[in-house]
Amino acid sequence: MTLAESPSLLVAGIGEMVLSSSPHDHLVAYGLGSCIALAVWDPRAKIGGLAHFMLPSGPANNGSPVKFIDAGIDTFLHALESKGAVLTRSTLKAAGAAAMLTVGSGLAIGKRNAEAMQAALTERGLNLTATALGGNTGRTVQLEVADGRFLIKSLSSVTEL
Amino acid sequence: MTLTLSEAGQNVVAGTFGRAMKRAGEALGSMSGQVIEVQTPQLQRCTAADVLTMAGGPESIVLAVYVCILGSLQGHALLLFSPSDAHRLAQILLAGLLGPGELPMESTTDPLSYDELELSALQEAGNVTISAFLNEIGMHLHEPVQPTPPQIVIEMAGAVLDAVLLDLVNDADQVLAARTTFSEGGRAIDGTLFVLPRADSLRVLLDALGALGI
Repeated sequence: MTLAESPSLLVAGIGEMVLSSSPHDHLVAYGLGSCIALAVWDPRAKIGGLAHFMLPSGPANNGSPVKFIDAGIDTFLHALESKGAVLTRSTLKAAGAAAMLTVGSGLAIGKRNAEAMQAALTERGLNLTATALGGNTGRTVQLEVADGRFLIKSLSSVTEL
Repeated sequence: MTLTLSEAGQNVVAGTFGRAMKRAGEALGSMSGQVIEVQTPQLQRCTAADVLTMAGGPESIVLAVYVCILGSLQGHALLLFSPSDAHRLAQILLAGLLGPGELPMESTTDPLSYDELELSALQEAGNVTISAFLNEIGMHLHEPVQPTPPQIVIEMAGAVLDAVLLDLVNDADQVLAARTTFSEGGRAIDGTLFVLPRADSLRVLLDALGALGI
């Protein structure tokens, strides 16, 4: 691979989404804890998108397009469709939603995020193709637009979902 | 909502951190039998987004001691170290407790591997440091602040911090962050202490310290 063909990384920070139809792009969300990432890839149109959601629910127009699952899921899915992706033939994979901090109370966000993601997709007639959710492990995820490979990196391993 | 602090107000907050860290050093010194100083040369208020940058980025690996704060002041406190600095601090703390031959060996192959004694020492260092700050606050609040037992997590900074960051309602300057240096003899170890009050608690905290309206 020449330098010109090196993949470029598009990073979805907390509450952000990235989309691409370039086969040279890798879409990345770093250091997911209780946050949840949704990766969508259309194998025919070769279009991919990655969204880094924080919380199950909250107000729209909060300054971050996909901060909240309920307010942001349509923003993300519509953006993919506008780019030419067809959701019904796409793979949908989710990762994150871990429980990193277990002392105290009120931080069981990961479990609620996983449930909210499943419910939001079901409501729209969509299903998750594969998941790596829960546990107490941090995850960095990467969607490769060229072939839809979805990699999950933890401190101890790199796996393909 | 961003609360504005005058220079005098900022000095009050910095003084609180300074006194708390002096106490933390004394407590760690009596725990380990060594003379340990804890200093916070840099104190700043920052946004939730700045926290990840200060921690070295979302994928940087940290050892974090986490305490959840309950009661009249609610929020989170974290003391973060790089894996190598955490090992060095544990060695200093344990050196005063154990003989040279009893010290756990620092792993040369896996910097993320910690002996049970090291983890215990680091957990206590975090607990003492965070508690010193909370006790200082509690004296001004005239009621105790209730910390949970400390939890140690070795993970990517983003994964550790996202749970507490999303508990902050907005992106205002809610976080008190202090670069913290632990030193013993000629050795110095850097950590970062984050105090993250929940939405209404920053005003409670600053008000109790007398840092507002001066």
